[in-house]
Amino acid sequence: MKSPGLLLALPTALIVLLLGFVPLIVILVWSFWTWDPATYWIRPEFSLAGYAAILEAGRWSVIVGSLGKAFLTAAICVVIGYPAAMAVHFLASRRTALLLMALFTIPFFTSYMIRAFSWRLVLGRNGLINGWLMDLGIVDQPLDWLLFSNFAVNVGLVASYLPFVIFPLILSMQRVEPSLLAASQDLGASFWRTFRSVLLPLTQAGIFAGFLFVFVMAAGSATEVQMLGGAAASMISVMINDVMRVVNFPLAFAISTVVLIILFGLIFIGNRLFKLTRLFEGFTW
Amino acid sequence: MVASFESRPLKAAIWLMTAIGLAIIYLPPLYLVAVSFNPALQPALPALSDVSLTWYFALAKERTLISALQESLLVATITALVATGLALLSALAYMDLGKWRSRWFMFVLLPMFVPGIIQGLSLSVIFGRIGLKPFWGTVAASHLLWALPFAFTVILTSMAAVRRSYLLAASDLGASWWRQLVDVTLPLIKPGLVAAFIFSFLLSLNEFGRAFYLVGRQNTLPLAMFGKMNSGASPTIYALSGSIFLASILAVSFVLLAARANNRKLRR
Repeated sequence: MKSPGLLLALPTALIVLLLGFVPLIVILVWSFWTWDPATYWIRPEFSLAGYAAILEAGRWSVIVGSLGKAFLTAAICVVIGYPAAMAVHFLASRRTALLLMALFTIPFFTSYMIRAFSWRLVLGRNGLINGWLMDLGIVDQPLDWLLFSNFAVNVGLVASYLPFVIFPLILSMQRVEPSLLAASQDLGASFWRTFRSVLLPLTQAGIFAGFLFVFVMAAGSATEVQMLGGAAASMISVMINDVMRVVNFPLAFAISTVVLIILFGLIFIGNRLFKLTRLFEGFTW
Repeated sequence: MVASFESRPLKAAIWLMTAIGLAIIYLPPLYLVAVSFNPALQPALPALSDVSLTWYFALAKERTLISALQESLLVATITALVATGLALLSALAYMDLGKWRSRWFMFVLLPMFVPGIIQGLSLSVIFGRIGLKPFWGTVAASHLLWALPFAFTVILTSMAAVRRSYLLAASDLGASWWRQLVDVTLPLIKPGLVAAFIFSFLLSLNEFGRAFYLVGRQNTLPLAMFGKMNSGASPTIYALSGSIFLASILAVSFVLLAARANNRKLRR
């Protein structure tokens, strides 16, 4: 009997479409409707007021700033994650490699909120770091900029999303033919030469996938800014909450639409250029 | 191992970066766990003689947190059941989809990349329009989209244990598609199903942003905790955060150890 492939896909396809994509398409459409103060809702008349409002009150700079934070976070995660993936794939014994992979898997399933909150204890005025700095006599007064600052937000974002960069990198390293590295070395190339000319180009897809995962997760994050940011600190998700507090639906929908187009655009371009899904095909048969 | 990595300073540098990565992930929450055993009000490491469970006992009196925990456990159980079922079907479909595999994989994974606040907001306006009042089910609907990609990936990975030859053999012996599924595939991927369930449960239990616009009268635990954390954190919140964090670690460790034991059995 032929197996029912398409039939099996149907329930998931329906759920993902109805709960995932249809609501997003609907808010895309509604972002072009007109705000009706009489009903606190929108009416179906074409309007660009939502999009115009993005350009007001520094909202555009929050979007750009969020993408900037996400970019910085993703870059730092690649810089820390690449050596970590090398340790797992090239240096560690089988046992240690499994342990490291477990340690990088666990954070996916712990609370981002609790982890961000715990940085308050480390970075605060009476926190761990200020305590150390004062004990060592490096500073006399506790440093104030450690917490409730962009610095704290970036640290929190790196801590939250670092695991997302590790697995694409390990997968891409597993696909590198070891004989290529050996050949490069036999021909007299130094480590750095081999790294630059062989390993780095061959793991491009992993670097890009990891960077993209972290970038997208960080750009959509809210908790880290809410827990660790200063009074004026904002992020796209926090700004949407603020806009919704005054029930400005078209503006909230317009911001969401712009952000989704940017993020999905990056994912699709990335997938085209680097065939990201191929990274994961090693999984099966 | 590649010989060019033998240089000692290089190895040291690679291990140092790995240690830094692990430290920024684990040190702060573990510090929080340690602080939660300090009976003093001021957060600091407790002296060994001071270690106490004061704040853990105080948790029993936090009515709002306890009812939020109950709500979250309900939502997490529903989310995990549905996500595991759908992920199993999606993974079986993946096996049959041939050249459509990559697209199917992307399709199931995509909702994970939608910012939680935006996904929650869009669902809540749709539910509002069709007259569906927010309750645990609306929260579970948003958590499902977050958990499904992970559950799908985990079950797909466990499918590696199902060699094509097993299925061909079963088929040659006259087993129907259904018999092959029940007698060959499911027993082999059982650890994957358990892992998918536990992971989905934890993802839902710990998810914060998606529930924001979708909770009814009863908050979920992360939402209730968020309120407590930002209103002059009483140390009970350290005890609760610490227990949730440790419980999550234990649950994931259990899954990973079970997977390892199973892999060994299969290799033998």
